[in-house]
Amino acid sequence: MANGSSLFAQNIKTSDKKAGRVEKEEEITKALTFAIGEQVYGVEIPYVLEILGVPKITRVPCAEVPYFIKGIINVRSKVVPVVNMRSCFGKEEIEYNEKTCTIIVALKDITVGLIVDEVLEVLSVKQKNIAKTPDLNNVNENKFIEYILEMSDGIKLILDIKKIIFDHDLMLRLD
Amino acid sequence: MSKIESGMESMIDMYIFETNTLLEQLDEILLKTEEAQTFTDEDINEIFRIMHTVKGSSAMMGFDELQYLAHKGEELFFIIREKPGQLDDVSFIYDLVFRMSDLFKAEVELIQGEEEYVATDFSDVIKDLEKGASMLTDGTPAAASAEVGTYADVEKEKAADCSGDGVMTVRIFFQEGCKMENLRSFMLLNKIREEADVKSFHPADLEGDPNASDVIIEEGFTVTFKAEHDENDSIIKLIENAINVESYEIIDSGSAPAEAAAEPVESEPAPAVVESAPAPAPAPAASAPPPPAPEPVAAPVPVPAANNQAAQLNTGKQSIISVNLAKLDQLHDIVGEIITTESMVISNPELEGLKLESFHKSARELKKLTDELQDTVMSIRMVPLAGPFQKMNRIVRDMKMKLGKDAELKIMGEDTEVDKTIVDSLNDPLMHLVRNCMDHGIETSVEDRLEKGKPAKATVTLNAVSSSGEVIITVSDDGKGIDCEKVLRKAEANGLLMKPPGEYTEREVQQMILLPGFSTNDVVTEFSGRGVGMDVVRDNIEKCGGSLTVESKQGAGTTFIIKIPLTLAIIQGMEVKVDTTVFAIPISTIRQSFKVRNDEIIQDTQRGEMIMIRGECYPIMRLHEKFAIPSEITDFEDGILLLVETDGKSVCLFADKLIGEQQVVVKPFPPYLGRYNIKGAGLSGCTIMGDGSISLIIDVANLIEAY
Repeated sequence: MANGSSLFAQNIKTSDKKAGRVEKEEEITKALTFAIGEQVYGVEIPYVLEILGVPKITRVPCAEVPYFIKGIINVRSKVVPVVNMRSCFGKEEIEYNEKTCTIIVALKDITVGLIVDEVLEVLSVKQKNIAKTPDLNNVNENKFIEYILEMSDGIKLILDIKKIIFDHDLMLRLD
Repeated sequence: MSKIESGMESMIDMYIFETNTLLEQLDEILLKTEEAQTFTDEDINEIFRIMHTVKGSSAMMGFDELQYLAHKGEELFFIIREKPGQLDDVSFIYDLVFRMSDLFKAEVELIQGEEEYVATDFSDVIKDLEKGASMLTDGTPAAASAEVGTYADVEKEKAADCSGDGVMTVRIFFQEGCKMENLRSFMLLNKIREEADVKSFHPADLEGDPNASDVIIEEGFTVTFKAEHDENDSIIKLIENAINVESYEIIDSGSAPAEAAAEPVESEPAPAVVESAPAPAPAPAASAPPPPAPEPVAAPVPVPAANNQAAQLNTGKQSIISVNLAKLDQLHDIVGEIITTESMVISNPELEGLKLESFHKSARELKKLTDELQDTVMSIRMVPLAGPFQKMNRIVRDMKMKLGKDAELKIMGEDTEVDKTIVDSLNDPLMHLVRNCMDHGIETSVEDRLEKGKPAKATVTLNAVSSSGEVIITVSDDGKGIDCEKVLRKAEANGLLMKPPGEYTEREVQQMILLPGFSTNDVVTEFSGRGVGMDVVRDNIEKCGGSLTVESKQGAGTTFIIKIPLTLAIIQGMEVKVDTTVFAIPISTIRQSFKVRNDEIIQDTQRGEMIMIRGECYPIMRLHEKFAIPSEITDFEDGILLLVETDGKSVCLFADKLIGEQQVVVKPFPPYLGRYNIKGAGLSGCTIMGDGSISLIIDVANLIEAY
């Protein structure tokens, strides 16, 4: 995390209003944004199934299961594993509070719950907001980032769901 | 046509299902008739119908090659049907038709496959089929012309099928004992003449020939006609409604009556024979009684009887539907959800302390209904074992031929029902075991058998019984049994022995053949011993939650015992609590649960704990330590011990407390966790409890293994 966040050291206040209401440019997709600490992240809406609070989590007592997988939850009779995004990004875990949410995301037949500090808003992603970032892959934390959005209210890092779902080793390397 | 037409995808599933079912039926009939060494009329009609349906649906799906292949098969049986009783040597037919059915199955599998379907060339087997047909028709040149069938033929028939144009030949049977068959035929003939142009009929001399009646009784009354205005259907109706007509069949429809290649035209695709008297049993649509032997119960007025029969046929068809398994799973999930939601409503904390008499009454009612709903959904998934069992007939037949061993397959308890997914995964293991029995189990020479006082014909027995939540399937032979000394020597050579050879019991030695890398047979044959050993069979069975053991008596035979759960989806579990985590332990593994005093615990040298029960010492496994759960209950006197046993190994589990016995719906761990060896840690899955929380199901075998 150390050098990752220094790149985007702006202190971003969460905002409820969408910036640039009179955009004429075409919307590529929508993204759901959420906060981990001070940083705003996002996932593209097509991956999002639903948003829950923090249900009762059953730990899977197996030594091989990494620390960031907190266990399994019951989402309407489906058993879904949950990942704590804080520990996934190498940050200190905090106690769950009333703002803590679980975002259920799915890629093909794999469903995962992401525990985040706070869910913020749904914003529309436009080509002109996507920042040109030549070298995303040399910073550890950025390996989960698909692209960066520069909005008038700050920078949002849109996550690569494929890596979150398939690249457990990447998560472990953050240690 | 090598590609599946667009818009047909949705029908493909149905086609595959139907064709496979028909091919299995075909195999069954062939095996049965081969056993009896004769074709009954019923069999021939049935085979004919199968071929015809397969041909029709293949044509509909645009699989021309398959259609042509089926057409050739149909032709062969057409010839057989035309000349009943004239078949001297029919054995070659079996090989031919089996080969065709195998090709068909392989082709259907290809269609089913992910890859783009490319039609296979069947010209070899088609040539053989033609050869077979000409062997049958030797001496009847009129029919012989049929063998030179081409696509054009098929096309022509198709055209005939569609328009209903052309000449039709119908064979009519009268009710037994109705007398004066010749006159009745004559009257019917006149009626047909009013509507259609009668080309010919047999027997030709109805009024003059005194034997005409007998001929009609024996062979039926055959009439060939050409309908005016292309309305053959109305003639069929006329025949159907004629007095005393027992049954009729449409033999032929084509441009020329002599052309044997022509196929029967049917107003509906399925049955070739329509009965007009009620069948004795609620017969499946296809079964036709042997024509000359009608039922004694003759309907006084045939017309309503015919309608009645049609209704029967209809209901018989519709009493079973095939459903996509994914939909069943979905239904099953929804029912699970309803049950969970129901208990969330009924035991809602907000209701606490309220006086709710009628609410609880309705709640109980609801509970009863949802329980029933769950049971019903469960029962939908259950299918009888008859399917995989019947397939073994074919294996035994093929191996009998190849190995030159005389054997028969006995099947018992095939109506035992198991979960669909389990039935599917049983096919391969069963096949392997039956092959093993045939190849290794049964003596190679008949003399060996006779010497031991056994009948020359060996028996392979398949048996299934269900007992308390599991199904026990045995595959046994009365062959030579397992040679323990040979097994031991082999095990020693392969370095599989853990202790001196002398210390192994007979039973232990027998189980060795299930180990990986073991095969007592020195010679690798086509059927078994291809390096895929019994360990693969065991693995496959264990994958669906079952177990495999072997029992053998040297000289008397070998029995493989498969134990599988009735359903993967539900187990009877004992729920225990460790701190806040709830575990479910399969009841079938629990021997007893008990409280202990601390002074009963024996400490061994490695700080391991043990307990003596009835003179036997069992190690104790603390679940909270094993699963690293911070529990406040660490004193044995505060918690409870459960003695669990599986595969002859036992251990005592220490938990905080028992919650109770419950049926739990097993859910696998989500695929996201698939990369981690959770099963190895001793957990086989999870289940959602009534309050919506998740409990973990303990896999006792793996837990002991990991201990």
